[in-house]
Amino acid sequence: MGPMIFRRIVIGFITLWVVSVIVFFGLSILPGDAAAIQLGQAATEESLAALRAQLGLDRPAYIRYFTWLGGMATGDMGISNAGGATIASLIDFRLIKTLELGGIVAVISVPLSIFLGLAAAMYPGTWLDRILTFGTMSLVAVPEFLIATFLVLIFAVKLQWMPSIAYMSGGESLWEWLHALAMPILTLVIVVSAQMIRMTRAGILNVMNSPYIEMAILKGVARKRIILRHALFNAIGPIINVIALNLAYLVSGVVIVETIFAYSGLAKLMIDGVQTRDFPLVQACAMIFCGTYVLLLLTADIGAILSNPRLRKPK
Amino acid sequence: MTKKPEKTEVGYADLNGADKDLLHTALNRGASRREAIKMMAATGLSVAAAGTIVTSAKDAIAATPKKGGSVKMCPSLHGPDDRLIPAQFTSTVDYTRGRAHYNGLTQLNDDITPRPELAEEFSPNANATEWTFKLRKDVTFHDGSKFTADDVMYTMAQHYGDDSVSVVKTLVSEVKEWKKVGPYEVKAILESPNSDLATLMGEKQFKIMKEGSAEAYNADGTLPPGTGPFTLEDFQPGVRSRHVRNENYWREGANFDEIEVFAITDPVARVNALLSDDVDMVAQVDPKAVKQVESTDGAEIKSTPSSAYFGMCMMLDRGPGQNADFVKGMKFLHRRDKVVKSILKGQGTVGNDHPINQAFGPDFCSELPVRPYDPDQAKFHLDKSGITSAEVNVAEVSPGITDVCLMWQRECSKIGFDLQVKKVPTDGYWGAVWMQTPINVVAWNMRPTATIQLDIAFAPDAPWNDTYWKNERFGQLLQMARSETDPAKRHEIQCEMQTLAHDGSGMIIPAHNNVVDGHGSDIMGIPSLPLGILGGCEWPEFAWKA
Amino acid sequence: MSDTSANTEETGAAEKEVDTIDKFAELPDAPPKKGIKLSWVGKVSVAIVAAWVVVAFIGPWIAPFHEAEFIVDDSYVPSGGCPEMLEELFDLDEWTPDAITQYCTESDTILFLGSDYLGRDTFSRIIWGARTTIGISFVATLFAYFVGITLGIGAAVSGGWIDMVLSRFNESILSLPSIMLGLIAVAALGSTIPILIITAALIYATSVFRIARALGQDIMVQDFVEAAHARGEGLWWIITREVLPNAAMPLLTDFGLRLVFVILFISSLSFLGLGVQPPMADWGSMVRENMQGLGYGSYASIWPAVAIGTLTISINLIVDDISAKSGGSLAKKMV
Repeated sequence: MGPMIFRRIVIGFITLWVVSVIVFFGLSILPGDAAAIQLGQAATEESLAALRAQLGLDRPAYIRYFTWLGGMATGDMGISNAGGATIASLIDFRLIKTLELGGIVAVISVPLSIFLGLAAAMYPGTWLDRILTFGTMSLVAVPEFLIATFLVLIFAVKLQWMPSIAYMSGGESLWEWLHALAMPILTLVIVVSAQMIRMTRAGILNVMNSPYIEMAILKGVARKRIILRHALFNAIGPIINVIALNLAYLVSGVVIVETIFAYSGLAKLMIDGVQTRDFPLVQACAMIFCGTYVLLLLTADIGAILSNPRLRKPK
Repeated sequence: MTKKPEKTEVGYADLNGADKDLLHTALNRGASRREAIKMMAATGLSVAAAGTIVTSAKDAIAATPKKGGSVKMCPSLHGPDDRLIPAQFTSTVDYTRGRAHYNGLTQLNDDITPRPELAEEFSPNANATEWTFKLRKDVTFHDGSKFTADDVMYTMAQHYGDDSVSVVKTLVSEVKEWKKVGPYEVKAILESPNSDLATLMGEKQFKIMKEGSAEAYNADGTLPPGTGPFTLEDFQPGVRSRHVRNENYWREGANFDEIEVFAITDPVARVNALLSDDVDMVAQVDPKAVKQVESTDGAEIKSTPSSAYFGMCMMLDRGPGQNADFVKGMKFLHRRDKVVKSILKGQGTVGNDHPINQAFGPDFCSELPVRPYDPDQAKFHLDKSGITSAEVNVAEVSPGITDVCLMWQRECSKIGFDLQVKKVPTDGYWGAVWMQTPINVVAWNMRPTATIQLDIAFAPDAPWNDTYWKNERFGQLLQMARSETDPAKRHEIQCEMQTLAHDGSGMIIPAHNNVVDGHGSDIMGIPSLPLGILGGCEWPEFAWKA
Repeated sequence: MSDTSANTEETGAAEKEVDTIDKFAELPDAPPKKGIKLSWVGKVSVAIVAAWVVVAFIGPWIAPFHEAEFIVDDSYVPSGGCPEMLEELFDLDEWTPDAITQYCTESDTILFLGSDYLGRDTFSRIIWGARTTIGISFVATLFAYFVGITLGIGAAVSGGWIDMVLSRFNESILSLPSIMLGLIAVAALGSTIPILIITAALIYATSVFRIARALGQDIMVQDFVEAAHARGEGLWWIITREVLPNAAMPLLTDFGLRLVFVILFISSLSFLGLGVQPPMADWGSMVRENMQGLGYGSYASIWPAVAIGTLTISINLIVDDISAKSGGSLAKKMV
């Protein structure tokens, strides 16, 4: 497995580099630069030139790219084009916030989804399965912002049980912290679980169709035992994969939840970065997201191999 | 959603002492407007009368602020580009922080007249070409150092020079020199007369910094000290800022113990945060949500009429705007009262294709009749122009502007004109679309004076003349208005300018929008300066919590 | 929404062996062809989807009003309201069901589902929106499948450098948040319908690419393909006759979800103020633009969500039905 991991890490670095090139081209086709966005309506030719000079935007784009790449190689993420703060200081705080929220959502949603997915797969076609399928599909189909706003209106505005925003002044106790995060956690658990439940069910049923399971059925092995002992282990690869992708989504894709609950995380930061044409900031976020993605998928594959004895020794 | 008119029977002054006390106690406890009105109505008053009384009672209470309490205030936008250097302030979150942290030479009353702040006295010479500012001697910065004329000189210098990144450079470009007369006196020497310089100095970008503090901040992030009512405890761009009361403030000062400022960008979420009482003040309430806030106990709307406007710019130097009949015809296709009623939900005033309205008092040309909705005239002019289709580029630069364009589109299609509405992203809009494409949209905040408001986007040489309307006469009148101090004469000049813009420029201004914010019922004393959110961002020093 | 479903069928290098062993017993030369018989749930679903498709085609002729027409001056008039009642009742509180019956039974401009935030007819906009939403999502999803399958199977079959380059590029796109890619594309190129379709298609093609490539690699090493190879069949024959039919079912399962994601992707762009051009109605954007109405108890943002739900749930139930029926014969015995 060692060489495999090494190979994947090398490939991961290549992917990171490709991402940086894509981001570079993506940002350069956008209208306006950081100086123009910052001055906005108040811009004049003169003030634009002055601000560009101050931000170093008067240098050609490729030089800025290679300067950034050089800095990155030595671990220096650079300085924000938008505000002049170091990227590290902007990322630092938000990365922790993102990991906190993502982590707690994962801890709740992953076991829950696997359990419900298994339950649905164990009794396919029953009312339990139908309700779960129908329920998860309904939730998958509803835009995130509607779920979030709906929950806020019920639990925060109407019942006043929970705060409507996940803002924290600092120094909260664990309970206050959970209370403040309750609504975004609930929203995200709904959003990601729906998908994971459906995929767990599909993954298991997919394996159930394979001949060796049919053999086991013919041999009269109990259904529960078949699913838990045989089907689950063989379906675990795809299931872990879906979980990994959902976790990656929790890190990079939750911009709507972060916006609605005024939670300062990385996903919103990246969108802000794009909207202010803050090249180093967007690049830094892209590197983190891509790195997370690569690592999560690698972990998923390793997990799949370790959990399935038959995968441990290659043919 | 219009209110049925009702007669007012009795006023606040007619109340007896006991009722007054009762009302004050209730309001001081933090009773909402709705609850208070209910209470008064129970004594047999009509709802309208009770409403008037409660308003007066609140005004009376606001005169006697209470100390203490910590509040959270949420504007609509923040990001990694949040600023601490006043010369670079561009958004309401910056202005708010600036007001808590710094002072200006002057500050503005609710009627936009200047009053002393760091300058204890200010006066122009006879023809307003020289202004003298005498500074207070008892002011210290948050780090304990003394405030002197050097700090003023340092701050003003930031607005000059090729490498200056000040956003208000052009506003002070006519001041050719700032001169230190003594340790506590500075003089501004102007190229041309300006009777409004002291008012301009009350604007948010002219707050006074400590000498050298901008460089220190840029170099290693040392937070610049201010002289303001609050000291900055914590500042994280795009996350939040926390301000604690400055115990050594040079005057009576702040009421709150602590304020926290962070944005909630989603308009629905922002209103919900107010309704669920998680924050105390929110900026820019969507007009559609006004009724919802008003009908909720514990939350209130503060709506201040202002001359802020949004409009559609038909560039006169390119595209269909070059045809005078096209421009003329298009101006007749707006149901201005319907824009105010349906889109602004009553939170605004009808616009008349020039940027001034009642908010500027005597400077507003009320004699000029509002341009009617007249599809026949529009059709006549458009037919004459021979143009049958056009495209307007719209970004949601002000809430409701897209909807106004959709309404416009609908009116066009009724007379057989094909108007395409092309929605474009807000970011990058100012550089790539505004003043570039033939027809686009714009929104401007209210400026301190009618003259500045006209100067900024209508003067023939203004860098932001957004329809390329070059009118010599207008330029001369503007020059006259700047130095004219006699109100009657100024009104005459103003009226001529407004009529010229109304007829000649390529701007369509269907409406002026009020400044509409929300706050908890227990927050009192928010000023009503219409130059920005929550009393022109002046609330930090004056508002208080009951 | 994320692209997380992409990998249900994804099988990493390590799992290849398992599948090979699993399918060893079957050794089919071609997949079994079976007639599709749907359960009653499936039949109802087909009826719903068919109804929406019909609405998409004839919508503009059956809708009571034009999608851009302002019917009333007030926002969020409740279901069954009419312009007549607004001449008498000014306030939200007065718009009771009784009042509506009183004023509107005679009216010939009834807003069945009420008005939206601008006073347009929600019912008409949903009917008009069917065309936009179904059109964009179907075309974009089909296009995503075309691009994803072509490149994915191409990469699997050719291997080597082509595979390496395509895969790295694909991984890169996949690792970036789709909403950000959409934001860049739309901000730079404009939010016309072709741009929206191409953007959505390319973003979701990356997930299809992953599945198709994995399946392709899987199938390429299977014995029946090797046998075909040995028989001297050409590459094209192998792809069309062996690889594609065997990959069809897993890809179909994915199709239903992918379609939902495209609809949600367009609606999340509208959250950032982008999305389809107004005044065009699109279900996802309608949910967004009427959100403020929730506070007034208006259903103006719920109805389009229901429309999205009925369409996408039906499609997924059909897909479930087909995949259940085409599975091994013993699967049914498990029930």
